[in-house]
Amino acid sequence: MSRPLRTTAAALAALGLLTACGSSGSSSDAGGKTTVTFWDNNAGPARTPLYQKLIADFEKVNPTITVKYVGVTSSEVAEKYNTAIASNSTPDVGGVTTALLASLTAQKALDPLEERYAKSALNGKVSANFLEISKSASGGKGLYQLPSSGNQDVIWYRADKFKEAGLTAPRTWDELFAAAAKLTDKGKNQYGFTIRGGAGSGFQVLSEAYAYSGLTTMFDAGGRSTVDDPKNIALIEKIAAQYKATTPEADVSNAYPQMLAQFQANQVMMVHHNLGSTRDVKTALGDKVAGFLLPAGPDGTSVLANPVDGFGLFKNSKHKDAAWKFMEFLDSHESNSYWNQNVGQIPANTEAYADEWYTGSGITKQAGDSLNSAATKLVQPPVYLPQYSKITKTDAEPNFQKVLLGKTSAAEFAKSVADAFTKAQADYQAKNR
Amino acid sequence: MNRILRLFLPLALYLVFTVVPFYWMLLFALRPAGSTSLLPWPLTFDHFDTVWNGMGFRVYFQNSVWIALLTLVFVTFFALMGGYALARFRFRGQRAFLLALLCTQFVPGAMMLIPLFNIFQTFDLINSRWSLIIAETTFQLPLAMILMSGFVKNVPVELEESAMVDGCGRVRAFLAVVLPLLRPGIVAVGSFAFIGSWNNFLFALMFLNDPELQTVPVGLQTTIGENTVDFGALAAGGVVAAVPVVLVFAFVQKYLVQGMSAGAVKG
Repeated sequence: MSRPLRTTAAALAALGLLTACGSSGSSSDAGGKTTVTFWDNNAGPARTPLYQKLIADFEKVNPTITVKYVGVTSSEVAEKYNTAIASNSTPDVGGVTTALLASLTAQKALDPLEERYAKSALNGKVSANFLEISKSASGGKGLYQLPSSGNQDVIWYRADKFKEAGLTAPRTWDELFAAAAKLTDKGKNQYGFTIRGGAGSGFQVLSEAYAYSGLTTMFDAGGRSTVDDPKNIALIEKIAAQYKATTPEADVSNAYPQMLAQFQANQVMMVHHNLGSTRDVKTALGDKVAGFLLPAGPDGTSVLANPVDGFGLFKNSKHKDAAWKFMEFLDSHESNSYWNQNVGQIPANTEAYADEWYTGSGITKQAGDSLNSAATKLVQPPVYLPQYSKITKTDAEPNFQKVLLGKTSAAEFAKSVADAFTKAQADYQAKNR
Repeated sequence: MNRILRLFLPLALYLVFTVVPFYWMLLFALRPAGSTSLLPWPLTFDHFDTVWNGMGFRVYFQNSVWIALLTLVFVTFFALMGGYALARFRFRGQRAFLLALLCTQFVPGAMMLIPLFNIFQTFDLINSRWSLIIAETTFQLPLAMILMSGFVKNVPVELEESAMVDGCGRVRAFLAVVLPLLRPGIVAVGSFAFIGSWNNFLFALMFLNDPELQTVPVGLQTTIGENTVDFGALAAGGVVAAVPVVLVFAFVQKYLVQGMSAGAVKG
């Protein structure tokens, strides 16, 4: 065979390999089995194995249902959902945080769950506050998310270093700043506090501001944002004053991973994050670390509601009953308790509140009690606004960096966020009137 | 001495600058979790076991290989035909066609997601490796054709004419005379196609849902959680992802360089 012919033959042989790339079917029913596709909205090394275990448990007790797990990372999930919605290829069940809920309900991608929940064995066993947060996050249009985990902002602190310095966990912001100053030793590259100046700073600084101001809503009766309330501005100024005084200089661009790295490396003594990092800090520092809820300001404290994680039933699902059964299983006492124990978050299933791991969990129970307490002033961030992410991330984050660098004032920063929220709220109300 | 300072010292610095990230990746992949040693000692392959067997990289790797190889075959085949036509024939609208080919390079993949999604869904190609192969082939073909036409132009047309005078048809003349001389071009275009397809993340993430069909870049992403990063697994996955690309560069580097310059000068 001549060389050109050999080349052609080789190319054709390669084409013959095409059979190796045959299409693999999408979820379908076969052999009396129903396949439910489940998209995890925050796949990763910590969560994926937990879901794999729960799916195996579910399939054991429901032999006619197979669950196909698809892991999507939190950074990509919004784009993946939006593409799937635009092309009618959504999964049966999807992990949905309250932060995603507004976008999904606005696109009419989810099925309402009130009726199913009312008839379910879960009825009355899911935290009423969590259900309220879910309803609020969808713009008050109903229940579109079955909550599974609650989160709450906490400040992790080095209990061992506090003890050495004769300090106790701060109960007010002034105590926190005083402790930060006492624990700062720049010569040893040791700082009392750390400010989130990079990704995620927008929500964090607002959460600190509302905890200090004690304001109970993000909008006043006239629809004007309360972000630029003088009490909020006062706290933002106090935080900015900590920059480089009791915090590392790199904070201006630091996001959560860098903050945590500094905390684990003995460089900072307090770090504000949320219960999502429980596993990380406990694994890295064990008993040396403890947590406290955001301290109070002069007028008491309020809590900016963190995203509640949960599950959505997609409207295009062809197996809604099987999908709901899977959702019910994930939210059952045993599964929900297992899940939240391992991710370090607050269970949505109230039966889990009696479990030993929860009662002895310290900060997780404390946060759960606070989140479920009628006395807590829970402030709902307007995640239902289509512009919410743009305002709190794209716009607020670089502007907050300018505050830290002294290029703009806390008042100007707060006003820019408030004006953007006020306008977005007015637009939303006009469209939904 | 002067020569060492002027030439070798900057080169050595540049080498360190280039090599350190790779060393860092290898270090994390080969040392135990939690170790702060600057040498991969005690040596462990646990992270490779985790990603290869535990996280499904064995399947991801196979998928990536098939997808990249088939993209390579299609891109090379169509680029040969298109590049030959561009180099050898004059036709109405040729310049506009070339301009259109170049303009396609300005369109980011993300903008094409929804239209591509709808097309693939119509043909039941979502959640099929074919969607990736077709998308990658169409995205890479314009540049590949331009590169290939540069290589074809380098082959004297007189050689083909002589073959045709001796009785060959155009196809036979192409296969017997031109094709063997295009080997550097084929290697260059094929390598670009392979690497481009191997590295693609967006299309794989969007078009494939079944974990059994996923590719290495998407698998790598799953080692990074919202609050937790498995650095050992990430580094081991990075090594797995880098090996084919490094091999391609190592063996066909000279053709790649030639490919770039052929496109630049003759295109």
